[in-house]
Amino acid sequence: MTHRNFALAGGKIGTIIAVLVLLVWSVGPIYWSLATSFTSPTDLISAEPHFWPADMTLEHYAKLFGSTSMSQGNKVASVWPQFSRAIINSVITSVAATFITVAIAAFAAYAFARMKFPGRNVLFFVVVGTLAIPAYTVMIPLYRLMIALHLVDTYVGVTLIYVSAFLPLALWLMRSVYQSMPLSLEEAAWMDGAGRVYTLVRIIMPLAAPGLIAAAIITFLNAWGQFLVPLVFSPTLTTKPLTVLIPEFVSRNYVDYGLINAAGIIAIIPPVLVVLFLNRFLVSGLMAGATK
Amino acid sequence: MKRRTFMAALAATAMLQVGVSGAALADDAKPLDGQHLSVLLPPWGTFPKEMTDQFTAETGVALESQTLGWDEIHTKIVTSMIANTAPASATEVDWSWVGQFGAAGWYSPLNDDFSEDVVKDVPTSKIFNYNGKLLALPYNNDFRVLIYNKAQLEKAGVAQPPKTPDELLEAAKAIKAAKIVDYPIGLPLSATEGTSTTWYLLTKAFGGDLFDKDFNPLFLDPNSGGYKALNFEVQALKDGLIDPSATGLKDVDVQELFKSGKVTFDVAGWAGNLSVYGDPSKSQVADDVSAALMPSTTGTTRTIGLPEAIGIPVSAENADAAKAFIKWMLKPETQINSYNSLGNLPPRLSVLKQLEEEGKLTNGKVLLEQAASVEPLFADGTPGWYPEFSSAVSAAINQAAKGQVSVEDALQQIADAAQSASQQ
Amino acid sequence: MASALTREKTRRFGGEASLGIAFVIPMVVIMGGLVLLPLLSTMIDSVYNVSPMRAGTPFVGFKNYIDLFSNTTVNQSWRNTFYYVVLAVVLETAGGLATALLLNKVKIGRRWLLAAVVLPWCLPPVVNAVVWMWIYNPSYGLLTGVLHSTGLMTGPSLFFNDRYVMLFLVTLVHVWRMMPLTAIILLAALQSIPKDLYQAARLDGASSFKCFRLITLPLISGGLAIALSQSTVFAFNLFDEAWILNRASLDTRTVIIQVYLDAFQNLKFSLGMALSLLAMLASLLVSLFYVLKVYRETRFD
Repeated sequence: MTHRNFALAGGKIGTIIAVLVLLVWSVGPIYWSLATSFTSPTDLISAEPHFWPADMTLEHYAKLFGSTSMSQGNKVASVWPQFSRAIINSVITSVAATFITVAIAAFAAYAFARMKFPGRNVLFFVVVGTLAIPAYTVMIPLYRLMIALHLVDTYVGVTLIYVSAFLPLALWLMRSVYQSMPLSLEEAAWMDGAGRVYTLVRIIMPLAAPGLIAAAIITFLNAWGQFLVPLVFSPTLTTKPLTVLIPEFVSRNYVDYGLINAAGIIAIIPPVLVVLFLNRFLVSGLMAGATK
Repeated sequence: MKRRTFMAALAATAMLQVGVSGAALADDAKPLDGQHLSVLLPPWGTFPKEMTDQFTAETGVALESQTLGWDEIHTKIVTSMIANTAPASATEVDWSWVGQFGAAGWYSPLNDDFSEDVVKDVPTSKIFNYNGKLLALPYNNDFRVLIYNKAQLEKAGVAQPPKTPDELLEAAKAIKAAKIVDYPIGLPLSATEGTSTTWYLLTKAFGGDLFDKDFNPLFLDPNSGGYKALNFEVQALKDGLIDPSATGLKDVDVQELFKSGKVTFDVAGWAGNLSVYGDPSKSQVADDVSAALMPSTTGTTRTIGLPEAIGIPVSAENADAAKAFIKWMLKPETQINSYNSLGNLPPRLSVLKQLEEEGKLTNGKVLLEQAASVEPLFADGTPGWYPEFSSAVSAAINQAAKGQVSVEDALQQIADAAQSASQQ
Repeated sequence: MASALTREKTRRFGGEASLGIAFVIPMVVIMGGLVLLPLLSTMIDSVYNVSPMRAGTPFVGFKNYIDLFSNTTVNQSWRNTFYYVVLAVVLETAGGLATALLLNKVKIGRRWLLAAVVLPWCLPPVVNAVVWMWIYNPSYGLLTGVLHSTGLMTGPSLFFNDRYVMLFLVTLVHVWRMMPLTAIILLAALQSIPKDLYQAARLDGASSFKCFRLITLPLISGGLAIALSQSTVFAFNLFDEAWILNRASLDTRTVIIQVYLDAFQNLKFSLGMALSLLAMLASLLVSLFYVLKVYRETRFD
């Protein structure tokens, strides 16, 4: 009995150590970025690395949020209108891409997992195989196509490209989730006379929530971090996201490390909120009832 | 000081107004009124709103600015032009892209649109000629000077900034011996463009050139400027005058070292960077920074210009509005405003002189003298294979600095790269 | 009776087929139009010589591909890429699996831990690059500082001079950024394992390790195959990390950097596209190998 308690305590300590290691690994560099965003430019190039700025400054955040900003020692117009616009663009395209991707994947993956139709396996292999296509491979023909459709610099255009890029992974993930679910659940519903669509939407999907949420998180974060696609397809602030705006804070003679890190810290907040919100569903779902 | 700037701005506005009403009398209206103009430029070419508002007031053209990083602009232009659409009506054209864009026929010649006086007043516009076609006009005037830390030099008992590469070495040895800094000479040796341009610059300092007229390499002979230049870099690294970790440093990293007082010489200093080095909020050596002419073995200083310009893609909409924008950009008032707000050294010599006379140019005398000695890296225009050649150059120098290959082999690699790049 | 059953079956099968097709139509339209058509166009371009710097686009057959195989620079970038793929996939899978198991086990504060785990993936790539450039900076970076203060290294930091160290440091940045993806895929797979299976195994007296080998591993094999494939594909596509830390240096240049240099910097468009198609083929083959292997092994267990 005591032996068992000892092992349990040992396990607990092991878990705590593992959590600490994981936190240092994940948050350490982010902490570095946070500290930099509070450090004044002259302190940044001091000889000794400081683990926390000796005198904290908010000047970099003031540059982002202030009514005027500084660039190369000159007072210039506030960057906040651009910055806020870019946040909105990032949120709109990422959220739209996530919804559309997960919706399409949820139905298509079910068809691949449970329904028989001609060409099923070939189609699945081809779609998932497109994961391996480097972005540069299709960029120029895609640009031609988007010009012809008048979709360059529109939310629709950028969102559609994101969907086409992230659908394969979401589809594969959802199919494996459906496949691992016991067939008996669906059969019971059909016995009760429920239609296939009804069964899928009302019974299967709620049970597959962890998979759906994982697919949503993956799609959202992939879209949020995109650089190459918006670089080419979002030329102006109409649709330009944060990832393309932030590098513009690098001027030729001077890399504004403080400003870039401050912008990066702000850019982390929306996806973290999304993850915190979605996480509730990621860990409930299928077996929530079974654990008592 | 503030007041004077304000008055100057006021005067400039007044002058502009006169200019506008004068033009209005002559043409009776703004012919381009109501047109839209998209312009694609890096952050340092994106003018503040007050300035572009002036342009709109003057011409009636509504300006839509697209800002992208420098590397990304090239990708963007290539993608769009291969898809047969203009990325914008007027775009950035870097000196190093001239050969490519010229050979591809992507940019409209501007020869007939600008008076010869203006073009002559912008000596760096030569760099943007491709087979006699003027592809773009410069909006800044970046060239290299020797930037150094005066206080450290004085501490080591060196009275004058070095005039020859040998004096540079001696000064560096004196500073190292006096333990003022560990590694006095700052230059990049990583596989980046800044490494290549530093070597080109030093080649000129040693009285050499990269190629002859037929693009035969001139740097293979141990007595050539290019050979001596690379040898200089590798030897200084071995002698501990250059930071051993320079093989991982880019030009901007070297600049950070200079700002923190860890190196005495920014050998391939960017003229426009003097204002950043002199700014106490960004630099710890603000009071000690000074500039000198590029050292030279021949007695005549030489330097290279690496300017950036604005051109008009062939398939651009509203090309006339784009021309009006370039004309506006070349106006003395615009250039002065651009220098004040973005730190772009004016490409027009007359404007540069004016600034120097008004005492607004830090180290103005040196800059002006150096500006007169600016030559293009390639006298007959940048060849289309330059980008490929240049990345081979930095890769080879990087290997030589790491001791993976000898100076001789590195230069042979560079020559081979030039040949294979130019053959395709 | 029998014929009625068959009729019933065909009716249901036909209905199922059309419903199934209806479910996949939106996907087919998007993937076909935005990915497969452009891919086809690029494949065609790769057997011509499309270069904007010269007139005409002559048909050259497989010359571009043959040129690529005999180019030493390209071969070097392949070797670097394979190094990245092996190292990144091993580290991401091991780390991601450990993270997912831990997240599955922790009860208190799990949502905060999960949020912390995905942080690296939320950081915009350029900020990520700036942070790691600071950490690796040979003059005043954190790595140099730590190595100096712990006495592991004295004198100037020369790790930029060692090819293998640089390859490892670039991989580390990539793993730091991409590991959360593997962790989330595996967490989702872990979440769908019925808990009563473990209870039954415990009653039979199975150890934790045995539970892991006999229940967890087979049941997450689907997720594992996905995680392995995606990390392989992302490692083959590695660009930002190597480019930002070391630009075009031959020591760390990847195949995709080579594609970028050929097609976009040097304007040898067809050559670059041919190389990008080879990169696609390579990552496809490696992924296929995993998928078949993982599925077969776990199925026979």
